[in-house]
Amino acid sequence: MKLSRTAPPASEEMNMTPLIDCVFQLLLFFMIVTDMTQANLESLQLPPALAAVPDEPDPKIVRPILNIPVSGKVIWRRETLYDPEQDFEDTSRLEAFLANQAKLMPTEHLNEKEGTGPQIPANPLMIRADENTEFKYIQRVMYLCAKKDIQIWKLELGAKDLSEEDEKKAESQEE
Amino acid sequence: MSERLKEINLEEVKMSVAPLIDMTFLLLIFFILTIKFKVLEGKLAAYLPKDVGINTSPVDPKEKVEVKIEVVEAGVKLSPFAPAPYTAGDPYDPANHERFIFQFGTRKLRYSIGPQKYTELEKVQERLADLFAQDRERPATIDCRPGTVYGDMVPVLDAAYEVGYRDITFVGEYKPAKPQ
Repeated sequence: MKLSRTAPPASEEMNMTPLIDCVFQLLLFFMIVTDMTQANLESLQLPPALAAVPDEPDPKIVRPILNIPVSGKVIWRRETLYDPEQDFEDTSRLEAFLANQAKLMPTEHLNEKEGTGPQIPANPLMIRADENTEFKYIQRVMYLCAKKDIQIWKLELGAKDLSEEDEKKAESQEE
Repeated sequence: MSERLKEINLEEVKMSVAPLIDMTFLLLIFFILTIKFKVLEGKLAAYLPKDVGINTSPVDPKEKVEVKIEVVEAGVKLSPFAPAPYTAGDPYDPANHERFIFQFGTRKLRYSIGPQKYTELEKVQERLADLFAQDRERPATIDCRPGTVYGDMVPVLDAAYEVGYRDITFVGEYKPAKPQ
């Protein structure tokens, strides 16, 4: 076979337009799909619960989410409010945070049905803890919540929604 | 002069798209790395005693169903990343989550409802169902004793919820250490 000895054709510039189109499409996709509200959820192994209801957070409502990993740290939006290894019994930062959040919450009467008694926060505090986090760390937060200038009494405890997974499994088995 | 100007204007000016592509790629990488698809988690509602720290609330006349959780055997901790015992600063843990799991069957708990003691959660749920059938307005409390973990409490709360209890509070013995 004879190969042509003539010089190869002059190199043409690569057409970048489809690449840019594609990259922009991807960029738009990720910008739309990314939910920044999930940034305050730490990566934790939550315990499963059948009675758990799906949590659909409303950004308009003041509901702080405290994450408590196995180490016992109390984390809110990536900020450590209490670290048992450094702070020991000094919970002043966490206490100040809870008091501040309690002030931001709407209030209701202590005896809600009768409309009597002092005003207390009406919104809940969500606690997400790892399944192997010692309960004493959660108790510590509860203890602070009950303090006179905080009085947050409604809690939401994070759990893995098992009922949804079971339904999916049952559906796949039926098929 | 006008001809010279025409020549200048007619020169083809190519926009450099390289910085644009660089920026776009950087943004794309940022979003790919930070993306966390929206996952709906579950939650269980519970309450704390309302009248702590306030003296104006009347005493609740209703007798509560109190479930006490105690640890009988702490269990063997294993690394969730390798078939090896868990040690602090787990060398198998890629992201230093400080997580561990309990070896199956090694962790033993004791549940008490009044004077009755149970070791199985199913029995606790049966007893709770009996008590709930007697009085549907009766509130429940969960008392977690030292050594219990969050994963020990949630199944009890779940069992109470499944049975029908809605007014579930926590009682605890947490006392901060006195300053020296």
